[in-house]
Amino acid sequence: MECEYLKNKRILLVDDEQELLDMVVSILKEEGFCNIGVAKNVKDALSAAAAVEPEFAILDVMLPDGNGFHLMEQLKQNGEYPILFLTACGEDEDKFKGFGLGADDYVVKPFLPKELVFRIMAILRRSYKDESSLVRLQNSEIDFDRAEAIKNGKHIPLTAKEHDILAALYRNAGRIVTIDALCEAAWGDNPFGYENSLMAHIRRIREKIEENPSRPVSLITVKGLGYKLIIGGK
Amino acid sequence: MKSVPKLIRRYVGILLLSCVLLLVLNFVLLAVFTAEQAPNAYPWKTAEEVADALQQTDDGGYDLPDAISLELKNSDAWAIFIDNETKQVKWQTADLPETIPLSYTLSDIASLTRGYIDGYPTFTGETEDGLIVLGYPKDSFWKHMWPSWDYELIANLPKTALLVLAINAALIFLIYVVANSKLLKSIKPIVNGIQSLPMGEPVYIKEKGLLSELAMNINKTSAILQSQNNQLRRRETARANWIAGVSHDIRTPLSMVMGYAGWLRDDTHLTDDERQKAAVIVKQSQRIRNLINDLNLASKLEYNMQPIHPKKENLIAIARQVVVDFINMDFEEKHPIEWETDEALTFCPVNADRDLMKRAIGNLIQNCITHNEQGCKIYVSVAAENSSCTIAVADDGIGATDEQIEKLNNAPHYMVCDDNVSEQRHGLGLLIVKQIIAAHGGSSTIKHSAYGGFCVKITLPIQE
Repeated sequence: MECEYLKNKRILLVDDEQELLDMVVSILKEEGFCNIGVAKNVKDALSAAAAVEPEFAILDVMLPDGNGFHLMEQLKQNGEYPILFLTACGEDEDKFKGFGLGADDYVVKPFLPKELVFRIMAILRRSYKDESSLVRLQNSEIDFDRAEAIKNGKHIPLTAKEHDILAALYRNAGRIVTIDALCEAAWGDNPFGYENSLMAHIRRIREKIEENPSRPVSLITVKGLGYKLIIGGK
Repeated sequence: MKSVPKLIRRYVGILLLSCVLLLVLNFVLLAVFTAEQAPNAYPWKTAEEVADALQQTDDGGYDLPDAISLELKNSDAWAIFIDNETKQVKWQTADLPETIPLSYTLSDIASLTRGYIDGYPTFTGETEDGLIVLGYPKDSFWKHMWPSWDYELIANLPKTALLVLAINAALIFLIYVVANSKLLKSIKPIVNGIQSLPMGEPVYIKEKGLLSELAMNINKTSAILQSQNNQLRRRETARANWIAGVSHDIRTPLSMVMGYAGWLRDDTHLTDDERQKAAVIVKQSQRIRNLINDLNLASKLEYNMQPIHPKKENLIAIARQVVVDFINMDFEEKHPIEWETDEALTFCPVNADRDLMKRAIGNLIQNCITHNEQGCKIYVSVAAENSSCTIAVADDGIGATDEQIEKLNNAPHYMVCDDNVSEQRHGLGLLIVKQIIAAHGGSSTIKHSAYGGFCVKITLPIQE
């Protein structure tokens, strides 16, 4: 996979239930993650964080000596890295609180291993761009740092909107992103009435990344719903 | 508060009506009474009769027929005849009192015509050459000595009477208002209190004035209602908290069941049979997860403990996101979803809580999946007409019988039913949809789908 470098990130996992820790560790190891530290309470988590300087943390909300929201604030004082809550507190208020404090995602137990891994990968991809920052597509490559597409050895610049739209599609690579979510990514909140502009932008992106823009293979239309970016080389 | 002015109007109406009726009654009684007294003009008539009947005899004397003499006698009246020329009494009845003078001047005649001779009420009748005067016993008649009125007074009498009547009515009304304003003042807080009771508001009325006892009772009733409401609310809160607690505590153990089962299901080292078994565990764990999520939300919605944060949202965007989430999660592609919304319709503003609305639409799609394990096609459409926006979620799966649909539409769910239910219980998914849509002021209907399966339509008012 093109994201191997993400799996070397140092991950801190905090949960008071030993068996759950074991399970998540084995799920992550199975997926290829190799730097995983665990802690069962706030105290251990803080000392582990000081020792390993994690690049990503998965926290439970209810811990024996404190709560995860507070722990997150303490962790963020010593380093800026993404945080995912994995908790049994499924109330909307808890979710809002977590996101309000700056969490990157909030997964309510119980969860499927695939779902957890997908969300972790999405966060990591968002937070740590590939050093080369090249995304390989069927017929081209995208360089997000330089905002350009590379097709047949030619460097074609992307406009700001095209970049935003492609970035939103890339964050959810392989999944459908709705028209509304893409408009929001490009035009901000309350993006009503931009559907036609979006179609125009998609057409121009296709001209830059597809071999045959009228028969796209990387940027697929899902009629009425949205678009999907298929990544991976030939 | 509408009833009090009505009450006052009715009171005043009755009062005025009774005044008028009383006046009419008095007039009628007066008329009857005076009509009976009309014969009181009879002394004058008798005097006329005497004047007509008195005959001069041949010897120069006068003679009164016996019948009239008898009539005079019966009423204890005396009579004299005064000659025009001499002003002397030329004839008299036998019982003439001695105090009656036998000679008169013009002023005497004027006085006796209007009034009395020596206290005897007198009445006159004219003859050809003199005047007949009848005298009745003292105190048998009262005579009006000055029988004349100002002409204007008589001419304006109807107006004056009406004016007096109006002044009377105004006076009565004023007296009523003054007398009752105090009563009304004390009624007003009581009426207000009674009206706020059914709304469940706490009521306190000052226990003072005419109706203090009533106020006291209303205050007591309010206190009882409040304490009952509090108890009920405490019990409901306890129940909702209990359900929330249980669903929280199930999540961690279920994580491990579902996590490991999911892992085994995807483990390519295992045989297909083993992975199939793991898939069943995953599926059943998901069912339990959905159930506890639903149970928690349904109980919170039922007891009004679910905070709802409505704002202007594009219902099409919400529906589209839910559909896409399902398509993105449907790894086996057993339940493809068709988006059947008119492409020209891109904006459908509603006032809604985004997360709850996503939950409602998600429940409908999940419902299609749960009831059609063998797979089915799901059709989602959004349509706007007039002032409402309708989302339809339909499938071409096994569907339901007419009877089942009737029940789903009308029978209360066991969660919100206070009878003991023995029949088969169905899931909470549709109940939550109904609760969420009702909380947003919309409606939901369940019916057969045009594609041969099941269809649920939810309608929300459009917010311009």
